[in-house]
Amino acid sequence: MEHPILFISVLLEALHLPVPHGLVGDSLLAKLVSPHMTYTWLVMAFLIIMPKLTIGKVEMVPGKAQNFWEAVISGMEGFMAENMGKEGARMMFPMLATFAFYILVANMIGLMPGFMSPTSNLNITLGCTLIVFFTTHILGFKFHGINYYKHFLGPVWWLTPLIAPIEIISHLARILSLSIRLFGNIMAKETLLGILFILAGAYFAPLPILVLGVFVSIVQALVFVLLSILYFSASMEHAH
Amino acid sequence: MAGFGKEMTKMLIEVSTIGMTVSFSIFIGVGFGYYLDTHVFDGRTKPWFTLIFLGFGVAAAFLNLYRMATRKDIGDGKE
Repeated sequence: MEHPILFISVLLEALHLPVPHGLVGDSLLAKLVSPHMTYTWLVMAFLIIMPKLTIGKVEMVPGKAQNFWEAVISGMEGFMAENMGKEGARMMFPMLATFAFYILVANMIGLMPGFMSPTSNLNITLGCTLIVFFTTHILGFKFHGINYYKHFLGPVWWLTPLIAPIEIISHLARILSLSIRLFGNIMAKETLLGILFILAGAYFAPLPILVLGVFVSIVQALVFVLLSILYFSASMEHAH
Repeated sequence: MAGFGKEMTKMLIEVSTIGMTVSFSIFIGVGFGYYLDTHVFDGRTKPWFTLIFLGFGVAAAFLNLYRMATRKDIGDGKE
């Protein structure tokens, strides 16, 4: 398959590393240097280094950069507290904020030529979604004890054989819909941009799609985080 | 999304999941039933588990639709 020039892959190929030309390589080393892994590490490095550079050390009277980060963080915490309560927001904030930043930056990075979105690979989004899925049920068992399984049994006992498979199916459908929505949107953006660059890149044909890409990136990060919040709060509240 | 309302955005996102949930519920049901038929029971029960779990998948899809439709916090006249 044709693929765009990714500068990290080019660099690694210059170092004689077996960069795969498909999605995922064969050997362990090829898997480790496949584009979505290397760009995930790039995003991670960006997210670790960037706040360090801009904030430096936290001061009592915030400067410009610290003001910005404080506004972002407190805005996100307020958004979470609205949906899952103060206590739940404080407990789940590190994980959800990580997802929000990671997915936002990972979506946006694909808009630059020479970069790709790690989230345009189903494995990455499925990994994020599985973390959300298992955390949901761990939270359920933490808040309700062993009685959490009653969430799956329906209101009356003689409906249990009917309701239990239905509930399990709808919980599994969440995994698929959460991962495939993010993957599909971002991969569509990437593919469309690639095709338009090849067809009419010299005439600025991809520009409208780039604008739409910014919008899609923000919306998909918001959707992923909001749906995780809703799933978490649904597993924490009392059985109906 | 300034000027659009936080509640509205949240509801839009929640409601937008329903289409995917419906289709994936049905596919998971059929897939699991087909797996039971062909791999667990080696084709002795050929069409039956697929059909039964297709029913479960459709039921799960419609249960989700029903829950979304009868929710108390959507459309209670709050601005």
